[in-house]
Amino acid sequence: VKKATQLALGILTSVGGFFDVGNIATSAQAGASFRFQLIWALLLATILVIFLVEMSGRFAAVSGKALPDAIREHFGFSFWFVPFVILTLTHFLILSAEIGGISFALQLVTGIHFSWWAMPVALLVWLFLWRAKFNTIENSTSLLGLITLCFVVAAIAHHPPIHDLIAGAIPTLPQHDAPKYWFIGVSIIGAVLAPYLFYFYSSGAIEDEWDETYIGVNRGISFIGMSFGALIALGAIVVAAMVLAPRGIEVNDYQQAALMLSEAFPYWGFVLFAASMGIACLGAALEVSLSMAYATAQTFGWNWGEDLEPGKDARFSLVYTGAIFLSALVIAFGVDPLKLTLLTMAINAAVLPFVTLPFLLLMNDARLLRERKNGWLSNAVVVFVTILSLVLAVVSIPLTVMGGS
Amino acid sequence: MAMHRFDLIRDILDKQLVDGNGTEMGRIDGIIIEVRDGAPPRVDHFELGFTVLAERMHARLERWFRAARRWSVRRTTRQIVPWSAVEEVTQHHVKLDLDAEKTPAFDWERWLRKHIVHRLPGGKPEE
Repeated sequence: VKKATQLALGILTSVGGFFDVGNIATSAQAGASFRFQLIWALLLATILVIFLVEMSGRFAAVSGKALPDAIREHFGFSFWFVPFVILTLTHFLILSAEIGGISFALQLVTGIHFSWWAMPVALLVWLFLWRAKFNTIENSTSLLGLITLCFVVAAIAHHPPIHDLIAGAIPTLPQHDAPKYWFIGVSIIGAVLAPYLFYFYSSGAIEDEWDETYIGVNRGISFIGMSFGALIALGAIVVAAMVLAPRGIEVNDYQQAALMLSEAFPYWGFVLFAASMGIACLGAALEVSLSMAYATAQTFGWNWGEDLEPGKDARFSLVYTGAIFLSALVIAFGVDPLKLTLLTMAINAAVLPFVTLPFLLLMNDARLLRERKNGWLSNAVVVFVTILSLVLAVVSIPLTVMGGS
Repeated sequence: MAMHRFDLIRDILDKQLVDGNGTEMGRIDGIIIEVRDGAPPRVDHFELGFTVLAERMHARLERWFRAARRWSVRRTTRQIVPWSAVEEVTQHHVKLDLDAEKTPAFDWERWLRKHIVHRLPGGKPEE
């Protein structure tokens, strides 16, 4: 029974880590500007993320260690220091974007400018982490996250042309706006392969006390959880393609994206969009703040655990506290959440090698994983992701200048 | 599973330290060996602390950390753990026969708990 409920970890990881502010933004833009043509980027990223999430869960279950813990131990502090700092800064930007997403959802509903919402939202996220246990966070976010299925319902209601959908699964060259096409493509991949996902999932597996008997469960969770996230993102692309593209609406701010559900749900569409966005970003904000605290505590060997009272792991709790309020400050100063999100997604793709390279070495360490170490297929996937993200890093920076603005 | 033969750098340096109750109390940031006449060198003690880590990165960084000492609540810049305090070495951790709460490794933890966490709403455990 316990193992069945572990599906919640997968759905939380996916609602928070997979379907978040980045996916809403990139799916809406992809559908609005290129209809179904970028579906292949989503599918590719989903296959890759399933493999990587499965690996980080397997690693934690067999070795009993989460990723930051193992990286510091096996490669040493001097090796880990620079990636640790870079990833922490990236996480900081992601957290700002997620808090911006929740604040914007509140602006949609109340009409009060998002910058006013940043601090109240930070307080909400913080209270959640401060008071709740890991299980509560896991279960409530995955349950509430089901609301994002409204994108799938709307997509079906629009009767999309199946033939075009399938054609979009095959990569093709754009007929117009090539820089924008590739920029959105990179952002989709960056939005799915967020680096904190792997820290969070492996640390979550330690919190849930996984052992080697969870190998099969882990495989199921990563497949079902990540496919769940992909299905919703696909729904969002389809809806944007059916609603926004024919009207020539290009998504330059979230306000325009918010219209996409109004055709399928005339009265509730706007509210549903705001609720989906708010909840998906809340899940992600919880996940990113925890990931930052996990990575810091594990790097320095502090006592950590979301199930402990904050008084029992003061340093761990204060890391997420500081992270949440500092990143909310960025939004309170009025930085545009959509621009911040798109920039962050491109950075995500660029920093990925810092995650995947040590990961590749660890996953092949027989002293840690014995017969559970990576096979050739998993290794090929990690090598592919590393090369892909290196290429994306090189192209995403000029594209941000050309396509992002 | 306790290990009895190991590689100092691969298996000991950067490893998680836990106290007698299994509480995580930092990592092995430095290892000091003693060279003796007519006998093989032996591990004398471990060192813990940001200053030790800073020293591994750059000498100047270490000086800054030492200079920042006056604002630190930590009793010593580098905590010394003698090898004699080691209870067991496993794949997972090095277990010490100590109480983390009483060591300098927990100076910051205790200070933050008392001065910040307990003053925030819900930070104090309910009796």
